[in-house]
Amino acid sequence: MLKKIIISCILSLIAYSSSSQKFIPDLGLKTLNGESIRSVEAINQNGFTIISFWATWCIPCINELDAINEVISVWSEKEDITVLAISTDDSRSKKRVKPLINGKDWVFDVISDTNQDFKRAMGVVGIPHTIVTYKSEIIHRRIGYTPGEEEDLFDVISNHKK
Amino acid sequence: MLKSVTTVLITLFFLSFNYSQSSKIYGSFESNAVYYQENEEENYENKLGSNNYLNIKYLFNSNWNIEVQVESYLPKRLQSYSDSFENTHLSTLSVNYSKNNFNMSIGSIYDQFGSGLVLRTWEDRQLGINNSIWGFKTSFDAENFNLKLLGGWQKKGVGISSGKIVGLDSNITLFNSDTKYQNLIFGLSYVGRFEMPHYVSYDFNDLTNLFSARLDYFSDKFYLEYEQVIKSEDGIIQFGSISNEFVKKGSAHSLNLGITETGFGLDMTFRRLENMPLFSDRFEQGEIYNESNVNYLPALTKQHDYQLANINVYESQPNVSFPDPELMKSGEIGYQFDLYYDLKKGSNLGGKYGSKVSLNISSWYNLKGQYAYYPSDYDTDFIGFGEKYFSEQSIEIRKKWSNKFDNIFLFINKYYNKRFVEEKSGEIKSQILVIDNTLKLNNKKSIRLEIQHLSTKDDKKNWYGYGLEYNFNYNLSAYYNSIVNYQNFDDDKPTFYSIGASYNKNASRFSISYGKQRGGLLCYGGICRYIPEFKGLSFSINTTF
Repeated sequence: MLKKIIISCILSLIAYSSSSQKFIPDLGLKTLNGESIRSVEAINQNGFTIISFWATWCIPCINELDAINEVISVWSEKEDITVLAISTDDSRSKKRVKPLINGKDWVFDVISDTNQDFKRAMGVVGIPHTIVTYKSEIIHRRIGYTPGEEEDLFDVISNHKK
Repeated sequence: MLKSVTTVLITLFFLSFNYSQSSKIYGSFESNAVYYQENEEENYENKLGSNNYLNIKYLFNSNWNIEVQVESYLPKRLQSYSDSFENTHLSTLSVNYSKNNFNMSIGSIYDQFGSGLVLRTWEDRQLGINNSIWGFKTSFDAENFNLKLLGGWQKKGVGISSGKIVGLDSNITLFNSDTKYQNLIFGLSYVGRFEMPHYVSYDFNDLTNLFSARLDYFSDKFYLEYEQVIKSEDGIIQFGSISNEFVKKGSAHSLNLGITETGFGLDMTFRRLENMPLFSDRFEQGEIYNESNVNYLPALTKQHDYQLANINVYESQPNVSFPDPELMKSGEIGYQFDLYYDLKKGSNLGGKYGSKVSLNISSWYNLKGQYAYYPSDYDTDFIGFGEKYFSEQSIEIRKKWSNKFDNIFLFINKYYNKRFVEEKSGEIKSQILVIDNTLKLNNKKSIRLEIQHLSTKDDKKNWYGYGLEYNFNYNLSAYYNSIVNYQNFDDDKPTFYSIGASYNKNASRFSISYGKQRGGLLCYGGICRYIPEFKGLSFSINTTF
C-alpha cells in the first residue's frame, strides 16, 4: 500500500518536472452576458494574458484581483497585458459576480465557468490559480496568493522577454 | 482491472517524457492524507486514510483527446466519505472529438443545463461528489444557437446507477445588438430519468420528466434571468418507501435580476421549489453522500469563508418531508439581495485609499398551504410563506488604511430553524463578528490576524475564534487558528485548533497541519454533508503538470 502511494507521488513529481501544459485548450466559454466565446480567442495573441481562476466566496482570490486592479493601468503602460478573470462560481453564487465586479470597479474581462469545465480542462485543483500566457503559450502558473505576490507576476512578465 | 489501469497510467506517464516538448499530455495530481489520533466516525478503525486523484489528458491531435482519472483510497478512504470509495479505480474515462461547431464525447460526461435545476453533473472532491454520466454526449455550437443531447447511467460510487438519464438542451439568441448593447436568449431543456420499479408495480410512470424553459436578457446596466421547471408525477419517499397513495408533481421558478454600473451592483433573486429533487435511483433520496443527484438545487445564501460564519449553515429544502404531524414541508420559497458599493478614493467615506462595501440579505421559508399527515397530502399556495427556515443579514467592509495595512470587517445576523432544516429540535438566533487584518511587512513578508466571535443564547451558546498567519515569502506560509465554544459547559468548552504550514511553488502546493477539527455540516457551493469530528495530522499535495 505504502509502496503504491510512494510510486504515485514519484510518478507525479516526474511528470511535473518533465512535462507541462503549454497551450490553452480550445473550449467554448460564456461571457457573463451569455455570449459564446472560444477560449483561444479570449487570449491576447500578441502579448501577455493573466488568467485568474477565482470565485466570489474565495477571499484570497478577491484580494489578488483587487491588488491587480490597483496596478494594472501602470503595468499596461509598460507591457501589453490582458487580464482574464475566470469565475468558477456555480449557479449558487454566479448571481453575485456581475454586481461584485461592478461594485469593485474591476476593469477585467470576466468569463463564467459555471460548471467548471474550463477549470477541469486546465487541471486546476484549487483556487486562486493563476496562469500567465505569452502569445498563447503558457509561461507561468502558480497556486495561491499572499499579499504583494502580484509584483512577482509582473516580474515574470518583465523577465520573459529578456 | 486494477493492473490494466496501472499499466495505462504508467504508459501515459512515460508518454509524458516523450511528448514533453509537444505537451500532448498533461494533467493534475492531488493527494489528501490524514493520520487519525482520534475520530468519532463509527466503524472507522484505520489510523491512516488518504484520497488520491490522478487526472491525465492526452491530445491525439486538434480533434481528438482522451481524459482519464484514477482514484486511490489507500489504505482506506478519509473518514466521512462514502464507503463505496475503496482501493484504486478508474473514475473518469472519456474520448472526445471536436471539429468546427460539432463536439462528441463518449464515456464520463460532465455538463450542466441552464442553471442546473434540471441537470448538473460535476466533480467536487471536498464533498466527495462525482455524479458524471457514463454514456454519450453530442453537441452543436453555432454563434446564435446550440443544441446538446446526452444519455447514459450515472456514476454512483465505483459503480453506476440503475436508473438511466437522457437529456436535451438548446439555447437560441433571439436578439443581439452591438450598437446599444442588448442580448436576449431563450433556452429549453428536457431531462428524463427512467427507473424500473423495485419489485413492486406502481401507478406512476417509470419515466420521470423534467421540462425547463428559460429567458435571459442582458443590457449594459440591467439583466434578468428567469427559469421555470415542471416535473412530472413521481412517488414521494417516506420513511424509506414509496406508495401509490402519495404521488406528486414538482415545479421550480427562479427569477434573478440586477442593476449594475461603475462602482455599484445590486442583485435580487427569488426562487420557489416544490418537490424538485431528482435522483438517478429514487431510493437514494436522503442519502448523505449526494451520490445520485441529477439536478443541482443549492441553497441561495451567501457563502462565507470564516469558521464561525460556517456554523448553522442553511441547506436548501427542495424535498417533500413529513417526519411528524407538526413538521410537514414540501419545498422552499424565498429571496436574496446583494448590494456592492465602491466608496471612491478621496471621498469622505472612502478615505485616501477607498473602501468596498457589500450587503447581503436572504430569507427562506416552507411553502404555505394545507398539509395532512395521514393520509399524507398537501396543497400549496403559489406565493405563500410558511414556517421560516433561515434568514441572514450581513455587511462586509473592506478598508485599506495605508499601503501596508488593510482589514475586512464582517457582521452577520442569522436565524436558523434547526427543527425544520435538520429535523431536530430548536431555533438559533446568532450574531457573528469577524475582523480580518493584514499587515505587509515588506514586499514579500506579511502577517494576518483574524478575530471572530459568535454570540447566541441558543443551542451551544457563544464561541470565539482567532487565527494568525505569517507569510515568510510568496512560497512559504505558516498559521495557527483556534475556535472555542467557551459557554458550552455541558461539553466542557469544546476547543478546536489547527497549526500548519504550506509551501507553494509554481503549480504545486504542499501543506501539513495538525489539529482537532470540528464536526458538522461541510458546505461548498450550497451542497452540504455531515463530517465527523477528528484529531490528527493532515498532509496534502496538489500539482498541475
